[in-house]
Amino acid sequence: MTRTIHLSLDINGQSHALDVEPRVTLLDALREHLALTGTKKGCDQGQCGACTCHVDGQRVLSCLTLAAQVEGRQITTIEGIAAETGELHPVQAAFLEHDAFQCGYCTSGQIMSAVACIKEGHAGSDDEIREYMSGNLCRCGAYNSIVSAVREAAEAAR
Amino acid sequence: MRDFSYSRAGSLDEARQATLAPGALLLAGGTTLLDLAKCGVTEPETVIDITHLAGLDAITVDEEGIAIGALARMSAVADHPGVQAALPAVTQSLSLAASAQLRNMATIGGNLLQRTRCSYFRDPATFPACNKRNPGSGCSAIGGVTRNHAVLGTSEQCIASYPGDMAIALVAFDAVLDLGTRQVPVEDFFLSYADAPEEETVLKPGEMILAVKLRNSAAGMRSTYLKVRDRQSYEFAAASAAVGLEFEDDGRTVKDIRVALGGVASKPWRARAVEQALVGKPLEADTVAWAARLAMDGAVSYSDNLYKIELAPRVVTRAILTVGGLA
Amino acid sequence: MTIMEPRKHGSAADGFVGGRLSRFEGQMKVTGAATYALEYPVENLAHAVLVQSTIASGRVVSVDKAEAQAAPGVLLVLTPEDDLGLMTKSDWFGNRPDNEPYAPLPREISYNGETIAAVIAESREQAVEAIKLLRIAYDETPGVADLHDPKAGDGKVMDNLSVSWGDAEAALAASAVTIEAEYQTPREYHVAMEPHGLTAKWEGDQLTIWEPSQWTHAMALNYAEWFGLPPDNVRLISTFVGGGFGSKGAALAYGAVAASAARKLGRPVKLAVTRPQNFTSYGGRAATRQTIKLGATKDGVLQAIVHRGASETSVTTDYPEQTGAATPILYKVENYSSQSRVVPVNTVTPGALRGPGKNPSAFGIECAMDELANKLGMDPLELRLKNYADRDYQTGKPWSTRMLREALTQGAEAFGWSKRSHAPRSMREGRQLIGWGIGCGTFPVIQAPSAAMIRILANGRVEVVSGAIDMGQGTYTILAQTASEALGVPVDQIDVLLGDSRMPGSAIAGGSMLAGSITGAVHKTAAAARDELIGLALNAPNSPFRDTGANTLSVAGGRISVSSGNGPSMSLPELMTAIGQSELEVTRNTLPDDAQGATDQNAAWTSMKRVQGPTMGEFSMHSWCAHFAEVRVDEDFGTVRVSRMVSAFDCGRLYNPKMVESQWRGGIIMGIGQALFEEGMVDGRNGRTVNNNVGDYLVPTNADIPDLQVISVGVPDLNASALGGKGVGEVGIVGVAPAIANAVFHATGKRVRDLPLTLDKLI
Repeated sequence: MTRTIHLSLDINGQSHALDVEPRVTLLDALREHLALTGTKKGCDQGQCGACTCHVDGQRVLSCLTLAAQVEGRQITTIEGIAAETGELHPVQAAFLEHDAFQCGYCTSGQIMSAVACIKEGHAGSDDEIREYMSGNLCRCGAYNSIVSAVREAAEAAR
Repeated sequence: MRDFSYSRAGSLDEARQATLAPGALLLAGGTTLLDLAKCGVTEPETVIDITHLAGLDAITVDEEGIAIGALARMSAVADHPGVQAALPAVTQSLSLAASAQLRNMATIGGNLLQRTRCSYFRDPATFPACNKRNPGSGCSAIGGVTRNHAVLGTSEQCIASYPGDMAIALVAFDAVLDLGTRQVPVEDFFLSYADAPEEETVLKPGEMILAVKLRNSAAGMRSTYLKVRDRQSYEFAAASAAVGLEFEDDGRTVKDIRVALGGVASKPWRARAVEQALVGKPLEADTVAWAARLAMDGAVSYSDNLYKIELAPRVVTRAILTVGGLA
Repeated sequence: MTIMEPRKHGSAADGFVGGRLSRFEGQMKVTGAATYALEYPVENLAHAVLVQSTIASGRVVSVDKAEAQAAPGVLLVLTPEDDLGLMTKSDWFGNRPDNEPYAPLPREISYNGETIAAVIAESREQAVEAIKLLRIAYDETPGVADLHDPKAGDGKVMDNLSVSWGDAEAALAASAVTIEAEYQTPREYHVAMEPHGLTAKWEGDQLTIWEPSQWTHAMALNYAEWFGLPPDNVRLISTFVGGGFGSKGAALAYGAVAASAARKLGRPVKLAVTRPQNFTSYGGRAATRQTIKLGATKDGVLQAIVHRGASETSVTTDYPEQTGAATPILYKVENYSSQSRVVPVNTVTPGALRGPGKNPSAFGIECAMDELANKLGMDPLELRLKNYADRDYQTGKPWSTRMLREALTQGAEAFGWSKRSHAPRSMREGRQLIGWGIGCGTFPVIQAPSAAMIRILANGRVEVVSGAIDMGQGTYTILAQTASEALGVPVDQIDVLLGDSRMPGSAIAGGSMLAGSITGAVHKTAAAARDELIGLALNAPNSPFRDTGANTLSVAGGRISVSSGNGPSMSLPELMTAIGQSELEVTRNTLPDDAQGATDQNAAWTSMKRVQGPTMGEFSMHSWCAHFAEVRVDEDFGTVRVSRMVSAFDCGRLYNPKMVESQWRGGIIMGIGQALFEEGMVDGRNGRTVNNNVGDYLVPTNADIPDLQVISVGVPDLNASALGGKGVGEVGIVGVAPAIANAVFHATGKRVRDLPLTLDKLI
């Protein structure tokens, strides 16, 4: 017997209704049920950071979060951080300028993590950026450029 | 992941009552529960979300000490200046754990209850034998790849290692867990995996960790958490040490010292033998190195993890010398 | 065709070749709009989940699937008992056995983690849960866990890999100074951030596959052959690829399973290979060991190299990881002998992982050179320069270009090598021992043909169309730059369409052969399109250029003009409107004129038949690099941190230095992971890779990586490719691990000869 529950999720400022099993993670809800595929599945085990999005402004791993858990919270994904005019978020623009990605698969998670890293005040030095961005693996090896991009965006935000 | 029902606890009592039902598990940060549910290690029938309960995430710091609500997030505690001032070892143990995202999710109560990273424990489909999962079935790790396994507090029943960082610091500073109906010193809360690997803590159905309480101490203020691992970040400890130190007025004789080890034992491991060997003695590098070796009394290796017996005392030594101003 | 004068690296501010254009598809990637294979919206999807074996060797006696079949949402359970009716596909070289059935869910098990069943359900969650209800009975037979298993033995000699010239043994015996050592590398894995998987959809006998691919045409053919379909009936779409590193070049068993399930169910099936399953669904780099003996004169002139290597392979296929690949070409040596073995063990057949062969090979020879330098009391940089190879001693051919001397000297200069204190254990800061090491690397120039299409549309936009793929190397970007330069159209007027087997064929994105090949094809096609455009402008009845008397026209900045400047000048849309042309489409390829038939073309885009090795012409052609690493080793803990690296590369001309530098750094970072962390841990009892996840199989995090300085010392090499580039993707990793191992020796005085350099080996 499969039970489904009805959820209403606030994602990027919009309300999304869906019927899912309680065991469905936020990550699968986004990708498989809501066609918000910008959030990536890299390991599904909390080990890579590709699925990073924001819940109430805090960066979290959506693969270890139940969709049901975040009803009533504000969820932000990579699709929701650019301006409504389409202008890129400064972190997105810095990633593009610094070539802070290659294949692009970890990029959504990196950017969501970077936005939070700056907001948390953990982008004060290159070493601090490295440490606080270490929850996002990048196998293409864009780490130098990620640090440059985060540094530049952090300086601009000051 | 097994299909389960999900509900939100309306009150603390409701949450505690719910745990009396078989197959019911509380959901806080979810970082352990969902991970193990995906591995097939944990198969709850009912998941009771407690994250919406109010008032359980407070962090209070006063002249007496610190009280941390069980639902406080690891990141909130790590970033709390009062905790940093009173117990830098606790702050550091949190900052060096997991990743920023996981620290935003995991709660203090859940962090204490995280379970071993033993590869054999985590792969039931391939390794049915595991005394922790299935008492009496045997231990698949013994005879396998044991690089990350414990050397202290083990037995032929189980050689898994307790994975956490914060609990190491809590054990060093005699934290007490508020379980509502009773107060349990954190050191007594954890059970070594040696005797009955399936029982990891003294927490009973109907109980919940409500808060962690720490008393201020001079040793706490002069403390550190040193974590050694191959990767610079986002990895469990190969060996770690939480250390606190108080000198006599002469500034060199040890008045109070706290030493606990992580990454090497089946539970957060207080090294009292090391402490006793150093109290009353002047802090000197050779003495510390000698005393640190006492932490490994009774250590047993299954070959791949032999290095831990060598490494752990060195970590203890460096940590003590660091807080003592000698490193 | 016209070859443009190469521009100085990085100086081009415009969108032409050599410019530091930002990633063409970057905006899509930073906004989450780039759609990867498993993200295509497909109606009525069913979800397949794989079941892998939990024994290394034996057979599946039975699978009781009744309970699983009855579980909620379950649509289908496939086991070895199901005959899927598939036929074996061709190998890399286009050879295919006649009438040989193929069972992607085999009954005979040859490694732990082999796919043996699949459950297909309405949701992935349901399928995963139903797997627990399968009752699989095995008949287990003794297996060989890995290369270290005493039962593994010495394996068999691969005769085609034996190389010798001069008399190495005699020269070694006569040498004043010799060293001998054994070097080992463990199993290593690609760990692309995008896990493998696909969606398969049938419409009649037409099959569409959305799957990350390093070679769309070849993988589409794989499916066609399995299912007995005409090649054109399969379309494989791979617009974005979340990293491959050698793992996504061919269709794999799970693909056959998903497509079979889709056919049986009559509805599309999505199959996501889980992260743990990725460790055994395809082969990573095989574990290797090699013994190297070097002989030299007292003043460090190399006299002999004797190399004996072995790598593990599966029990079904001989796949050698060639530990002798770099050994013969890095140094001048008159006497050389090399022999390679493969040792069958119960593992998935190993595969190509960044810098295949060259990478473990360089670990051996570059550590050995460091050992020799130490024994001679000579600076390892000086030893390398002293034995600089003036030609390829294996073939006797001259190098096309080899700027390795410049890489060594300019890298050393940038690193500050001259300040090195040469004695081991002579540099420190507190408890941190500091060491500096060198490692050189190389990767061959491999050439292959490609095709491309250019479409000039009435609105003036230009489409560059190719089945080639971009997994982060920058294919989108450099093709836009190539077309822009050759056509004379601004880069922002260009669209690049890639990653679809319906598009013109190309070389594989592997072996660093794609960029050189596909830029050549696009350049040729764009030049032809420009010529056609000019021809139309001069000859079309309504063209304003018809009566100018010009015999050619210029195209620049998206405008077509009379070259003298005296006459009309029009934008492309204006011209297209004036001459009533709705579209101009040109397709060209770089196959020779005698190979333009359909059979030759199909073979070129789907097999290695037309691939040329580095010494098949009159030159020996390779990319080169020299890495300089500084490490800090904690004296008490044995932890190694790379604190600084400078790497100098000769990769010929760089089509886009920004993208090239990213790839070089990526290779270096993977090399740092290989040096410090990466190792498949195999349980000796059942051959299981127990660290089959990224929490236990460690790859570098951001915190492990210092600023990496990369320098280009290359010059255009027009023997290597049409536009003068040599490969950049593979070479970056080669030589990194030995540079770090040599630095660790310099720091600690301890020589660790088996990777990775974990703390337990150094305390």
